[in-house]
Amino acid sequence: MATKVNPDFTRTLQKFGANTATYCFHCGNCTVVCPLSTDENQFPRRFMRYAQLGMEDKIKNAAEPWLCYFCGDCQRLCPRQANPGEVMMTMRRYLTSLYDWTGLSLKLYTSKTSEWLAVAGLFLATLILVFLVQGGASTEHTELHRFVPRYLLQIGGILLGLGLAGMLALNIRRMHGFIMNGGRQSGYVKIPASVYIKELGTFLYHFLTQNRFSQCPTSRTRYIKHWLLFLGFIVLFGYAGFFLLIEIIKESLHAGIVTGLKVAFVTGSPHLLFPALHPIRLLEYAATIAILYVVIDSLAGRAAKKEPLHQNSHPTDWTFLLLVGGTIVTGLLTHIFRNLDLPLATYYTFALHLSFIVPMFVVGALFTKWAHAIYRPLALYFLKVKETAAKLPQMDLF
Amino acid sequence: MANKIATYICTGCGIGEALNTEALTNVAAKEYKLEIVRTHPFLCGAEGVALIKEDIQTAGVDGVVIAGCSPRVNTDVFNFGDEVLVERVNLREQCIWCHPANDEDTQMLAEDQLRMGIVKVKGMSVPTPYQPEEEVSRTVLVVGGGLAGITAALEVAKAGRKAVIVEKNDALGGWVAQLYKQVSVRPPYTELEDPEIRERIKEAEANPNIKVYKGAQIEKISGQPGLFDAYITQKSGGTATERVGAIILATGAVSYDASKLEHLGFGRSANVITTDGLEEMAKRGKIIRPSDGKEVQSAAFVLCAGSRDPEHLPYCSATCCIDSLKQALYIKRQNPNAAVYVFFKDLRAPGFHEYLYQQAQKEGVIFFRSDNTRIEENGKGLVIHAKDVLVNDNIVAEGLDLVVLATGMVPTAALGEMLVAGAEEEEGKKEGEGFFSPKPDIYFESNILNLEYRQGKELPSLKYGFPDSHFICFPYETRRTGIYAAGTVRAPMDIPTTIRDATGAALKAIQCIELTAKGMAVHPRVWDSSYASFRMEQCTQCKRCTVECPFGAINEDEKANPLYNPTRCRRCATCMGACPQRIISFQNYSVVIIGDMVKAIEVPEEDEEKPRIVVIVCENDAYPALDMVGMNRINLSPWIRIIPLRCLGSMNLVWIADALAKGIDGVLLLGCKHGDDYQCHFVKGSELCTYRLSKIKETLDRLALESDRVRIEQVQISDYNLVPEIIKEFAARIEEVGPNPYKGF
Repeated sequence: MATKVNPDFTRTLQKFGANTATYCFHCGNCTVVCPLSTDENQFPRRFMRYAQLGMEDKIKNAAEPWLCYFCGDCQRLCPRQANPGEVMMTMRRYLTSLYDWTGLSLKLYTSKTSEWLAVAGLFLATLILVFLVQGGASTEHTELHRFVPRYLLQIGGILLGLGLAGMLALNIRRMHGFIMNGGRQSGYVKIPASVYIKELGTFLYHFLTQNRFSQCPTSRTRYIKHWLLFLGFIVLFGYAGFFLLIEIIKESLHAGIVTGLKVAFVTGSPHLLFPALHPIRLLEYAATIAILYVVIDSLAGRAAKKEPLHQNSHPTDWTFLLLVGGTIVTGLLTHIFRNLDLPLATYYTFALHLSFIVPMFVVGALFTKWAHAIYRPLALYFLKVKETAAKLPQMDLF
Repeated sequence: MANKIATYICTGCGIGEALNTEALTNVAAKEYKLEIVRTHPFLCGAEGVALIKEDIQTAGVDGVVIAGCSPRVNTDVFNFGDEVLVERVNLREQCIWCHPANDEDTQMLAEDQLRMGIVKVKGMSVPTPYQPEEEVSRTVLVVGGGLAGITAALEVAKAGRKAVIVEKNDALGGWVAQLYKQVSVRPPYTELEDPEIRERIKEAEANPNIKVYKGAQIEKISGQPGLFDAYITQKSGGTATERVGAIILATGAVSYDASKLEHLGFGRSANVITTDGLEEMAKRGKIIRPSDGKEVQSAAFVLCAGSRDPEHLPYCSATCCIDSLKQALYIKRQNPNAAVYVFFKDLRAPGFHEYLYQQAQKEGVIFFRSDNTRIEENGKGLVIHAKDVLVNDNIVAEGLDLVVLATGMVPTAALGEMLVAGAEEEEGKKEGEGFFSPKPDIYFESNILNLEYRQGKELPSLKYGFPDSHFICFPYETRRTGIYAAGTVRAPMDIPTTIRDATGAALKAIQCIELTAKGMAVHPRVWDSSYASFRMEQCTQCKRCTVECPFGAINEDEKANPLYNPTRCRRCATCMGACPQRIISFQNYSVVIIGDMVKAIEVPEEDEEKPRIVVIVCENDAYPALDMVGMNRINLSPWIRIIPLRCLGSMNLVWIADALAKGIDGVLLLGCKHGDDYQCHFVKGSELCTYRLSKIKETLDRLALESDRVRIEQVQISDYNLVPEIIKEFAARIEEVGPNPYKGF
């Protein structure tokens, strides 16, 4: 069947960023320089052509744009300023909005106002909520667990986490549908679950190492920075959840489950306040510094517009960096003020800290920029599953 | 004839060390009884030249034989004025550089080459330039008043000469004046500007040196360069006559007839139009859908509509890509949201037009490199089906309001019935089997120039009806001396190229007039002031000369006597080679001179086992190739004796008879490549030579000689590395055949 040329879809893509695909005259320089390109699958040139023709189905069901880490070599070599790297970025935004069933992602990506309003709205709402629920904390000494009642904080955190995870699961389901079964005429093909389980390691490996990025020859430093950022997030956010869990288990074993939950949700545990030079603390400091460094570096880069990656910043790029930066700075200040025993300063910065965290997770991780952290390794995982499954007898997948 | 001949042997560049110059001196002094035979270690130095000049002045020397380097170098150094004949004997490149030093055979070669040089000067006379009785006209006739014609006329006028423009239509400007916009030739090269031809028309019409005939056509052109008479019929009635020196053909091209493109939807749908149709629409105002007059929301351009298609126009029309890019921008600038597609086979946007292509991409025009483009119509509009080469998939573009076919261009010289020059006489004559026939000249009865030439009324076409001569070596030249083609009639080209082309042709026309006035030939023998003379009392009216002249220089009277037009002649001497009666000769080049050179070669006895091979070479390609063999120090067979000719077209069969009768074992001819992409400076010299040789086989057989003794090979200047092999192989064959039985007779 012939593909219809669809100028409307070309215009749709345009809304997600700089769609300069029409500038491309298919010299293939990008394909020559891109480590992702193979003889069978020319990348990113093939996708440039899809974008030009408005081949919606081809783009919708593709995992390839997720493999690109935007090293920018294609862009540096492009004689037509068609910015293939940027077009792949645009496609990733489009795909993120496509996977999101609520349509909020689409709204956030295609409307600058919506993006800023959503961020500001969540920020203010959290702030107001914090001041509504706060109460009873001493102004003499810092009692952070009393400023926002501990159980509310923990329950809020768990609800937010579960909500995000649930929503993300639905999105991943959609992503899976597009990549694994989209655009095929033979209908749905069931790949045995064993293949999925067998290849789970691929997902974990790519999620943790981001090894694919290290294959981009000219951006080793960016790979290192990006990985540092990732590790920083793992340390900091893993910290909260991981130690909470440890605490509950420990107390439960010691004094029964009710006490455990009580300690975790109401009183807090004195064991969790590690001394300043405790290895866990040090790791936490290192992570904070790493994230802060990368965030500042990225902000400066985006402002300077020197690197291809930084030349066409989308509003979602700015808000995400600002939210991460805000979260880290306020978290750090909270920690300092708390240790200096400055109650009011601690409370205010903590309120701000929470107000940054909520939009960072909701807008960033679920609907826009940050979602790539999960979609990227998943795309690699799905491709690997497909590849493995294709070797099974009677699997018509491609 | 030279009265007093002197020989100078240069011993520099290693010649003195490699050869026995004393023996060489003896050849000139004893065999040819020359009084002045000198050797000098550095003949091209000031002292050496002064030596020769002194002999010219004090001893009355008027024929100088210089044995040293190749005649292709130091030409200016060894020029002693029009009154002194100079012959260069190539002892360096073609002797010591490609043969072993101090060798008996090398010495014999050098001596034979010297003998030939002396004999040649003996036969030559100083040419007297041709001066017509009437005064040479300095006016240039420009046929066609479009961009090329106006530009050429303006250039001629700016050079201080008069120009006459003859334009068929009632206004000047031609096709370019019909355009809505043209692509800017200034940075950033992406703007569309009003056609600047309007200014040119005004300038031409106001110029006192330019006379314009509008609504006029050429009824007849007679005469020859410098003395052409053009008879111009005017629509208003009456005929004007203009005496002109040279002619520029600038009648342009017309669009290919789209009614032949029904497979692309033309004629089937009102919304399928041509480039010209869109241009006209844009000029009128809004670009609309012809079927209902609504503004166009989507359009597709189909390039190479007819061009590069063996069924229609086999060639690229050069401008359709750019015209379509420009028109795509018309639509985008009328409506930036319009979907505009370009379907192409190959997109050619040379030079700064690349910026226009880029601009079109930036404004959102989408390009398809496609095959099998089909156009249909359904309820929603036009539909294009094509195979997208890049995604290797069939694609469909639907709901199109307009499809524009970029039709190619057909030169005006190709309009009219196709004729073969001299076909009526050749008819009935049946060529014998195995004979090679030269390709006949083809021209079209386009009613443009109406030349009074024996070989047809219009210019012969090179390919596809374009009256070009040779697209690499000789731009603007046609196969008629003094007539230069410029602009799209010569080859498809865009506006800037046309302007350059017309300027070049104007320069060529002026050069032609000035050289003619001096009695010299035009390109490629500009220095040559010799011309042919015919010993008419021996003419048998066989017409070989009038048929074979590549430039139509020889007309015929009713009794088939040749009527030679010296200023049409390029001095290739093809007529001299063609004439079986050998009545045609030049003062410094004749059948007798070359024949004497052949006879001057010493042929050793059979038992000496030294065969001799005469290598007759074209001086334009094969001779420099042989020089290059020397420069690269590649060894050649010692049996060869090289004789350069103006063109292999001047090769007369009698020389082969002379050579074989003398006991020479073989004759090898090295000429230029012929065929569609010929290399011959005189269009078909080597082709005609091949044709003549194909007839000699019979004669050789009659003389009980093996026809293998004569061979012709095609050599390009760049083939120098192949030449030694060609010669080696031929020499081997000659050894196989054995010695010439006529040796010693």
